[in-house]
Amino acid sequence: MFPTPIQKRPRAAQITYQTLVPLALILWLLPLLAVGLFSIRPLSDFTNGNYWGMPSSFEFFTNYGKVFFESDMPRYLLNSLLITVPTVIGAVALSCMTGFALGIYRFRGNLLIFFMFIAGNFVPFQILMVPVRDLTVNMGLYDTKIGLVLFHIAFQTGFCTLFMRNFIRALPYELIEAARVEGIAEWRIFWYIVLPLMRPAIAALAVLIFTFIWNDYFWAVVLTQGPDAQPVTAGITSFNSQFVAQYHLMSAGSIVAALPPVIMFFAMQKHFIAGLTLGAVK
Amino acid sequence: MHPAFAGLVTIVIGVGGCLCYFWLSNQFLDKVLFPAKGPNAGRNINRANLIRPWLFLFPALFALSLYLAYPVVETIRLSLTERVTQTDGTTVYEFVGLKNYAQMSSDPKFWEAMFNNMFWLIVVPALSTAFGLLAAQLTDRISWGNIAKSLIFMPMAISFVGAAVIWKLIYDARPPDTSQIGVVNAIYVGLTGNDPVQLLTVPFWNNFFLMIVLVWIQTGFAMVILSAALRGIPEETIEAAIVDGANPFQIFFKIKMPQIMGTIVVVWTTITLVVLKVFDIVFAMTNGQWGTQVLANYMYTQLFVSRDWGVGSASAMVIMLLVTPILIWNVRNARKEMR
Repeated sequence: MFPTPIQKRPRAAQITYQTLVPLALILWLLPLLAVGLFSIRPLSDFTNGNYWGMPSSFEFFTNYGKVFFESDMPRYLLNSLLITVPTVIGAVALSCMTGFALGIYRFRGNLLIFFMFIAGNFVPFQILMVPVRDLTVNMGLYDTKIGLVLFHIAFQTGFCTLFMRNFIRALPYELIEAARVEGIAEWRIFWYIVLPLMRPAIAALAVLIFTFIWNDYFWAVVLTQGPDAQPVTAGITSFNSQFVAQYHLMSAGSIVAALPPVIMFFAMQKHFIAGLTLGAVK
Repeated sequence: MHPAFAGLVTIVIGVGGCLCYFWLSNQFLDKVLFPAKGPNAGRNINRANLIRPWLFLFPALFALSLYLAYPVVETIRLSLTERVTQTDGTTVYEFVGLKNYAQMSSDPKFWEAMFNNMFWLIVVPALSTAFGLLAAQLTDRISWGNIAKSLIFMPMAISFVGAAVIWKLIYDARPPDTSQIGVVNAIYVGLTGNDPVQLLTVPFWNNFFLMIVLVWIQTGFAMVILSAALRGIPEETIEAAIVDGANPFQIFFKIKMPQIMGTIVVVWTTITLVVLKVFDIVFAMTNGQWGTQVLANYMYTQLFVSRDWGVGSASAMVIMLLVTPILIWNVRNARKEMR
């Protein structure tokens, strides 16, 4: 078998390889390990300067309990959830429809609209900031979750459409032709034939968009303020100014804020990577 | 009403609205507007099918023109105007031509941001792609490679701000002769015995420390895509090279690399786009102080701190101009694929 598996290489090469890779990995994850270690230390460790030794006691529940019960963190987390889930649903629903229209029908303007979606995908989001902020303020949606959701849906639709259209193009077109010959209404073709086949794409896209939106910071700062509507990405900075210099709580807060997308990633790893690969290569 | 409940209601209304729109508009087209029966059945079916794609497209097109097309045009207009508050308290926008651009180009902070952005554009995509390629190659042949890959990829799932907050702690410096909480300084002081360094204020090199954060995040992305490409290389080409006596480096650089060049370019441009828009990391870590300004943060400062909408919009246009070549290149590629 080519290339030679590492097990069949000379002994010295094997050992260097097998020690260097884990070492590099630990170095890579050192920031996360450090923060994880800080988050279970008691406050006294920080005043005594015991940052890197054994923790004098394990305060996992005290520290994380404080984050959950004595700060605005749960509200920020809930806000994030309430912003992210509707956006994912909305963007996926819209892009299924546009992807179907652009992938299945041949009509005048099809290519032009498709190119517009591609171009929209590359527009730097900063350029939209002032008008979108004005628009949101004028609609009375400033500092609301809905304002943020509407914008995210609109902005993500470009990327999602690109993704969906390419996926639908790859489906066997004969299926749709056969259904048409049978005299099935177009909306039934979409609902009963194309949509079930799109399930893997929907799953991949949903996971991808979930992390994109959950991790958005720029629009959270531009369109919201205060714990009523701000998601956790913006909340973590106010959380840190609330607990300034209390490193054990700051660390625990950072971990709590980062955890949902990480869990999502590990749970749905296959879909996530499929989504990235499909999105990048196409 | 509890916010979670309110959220649920909104979702139900939203999804219900979408479904209703989809179903009703199609029914209306098929049953009322152009029914597929009567004397003109054939013509009606054709007409309905001409309109149908636009039914599917309408909601997305509407949302995009409201939130994307209109703002782009509006920003171009704003960058050419100046906001003037009149004596009676109302504000009007006066057309000033390219004055905002002139004002911006005489601002040393702008050129600092431009220079730093160029620096970011060279370093981050290069390092991320190189590390990604290295990680993909090294993890491909060990039994626990997939676990290693997940771990390397994990930073990608963390938000830029979250990463910035974590790394700020990593770069932290304590007064000399006390224990160091920042990992970097702890190692540095432990190894050399020198005084700790405030890493984020070191001129020039602090840019580099900010870039490392983005490289840390993006390497996972590069690795995943490149590893898929590496697996797609036909094994015969490698076998042939081994039979011909090529060494591992030759195999990697002369056989594998050329075959995945296309993917490398895609990864490179994707990361370039991320870099051009980089904001969160700089904003959360230094806010552009100590010579680390970048364009996106410069724009934010102009808009929200100086309240100068004209110059802010002008700098947004600069970012747009920098993205345009990549945009055109991508549309061209998509076009080539269609033919």
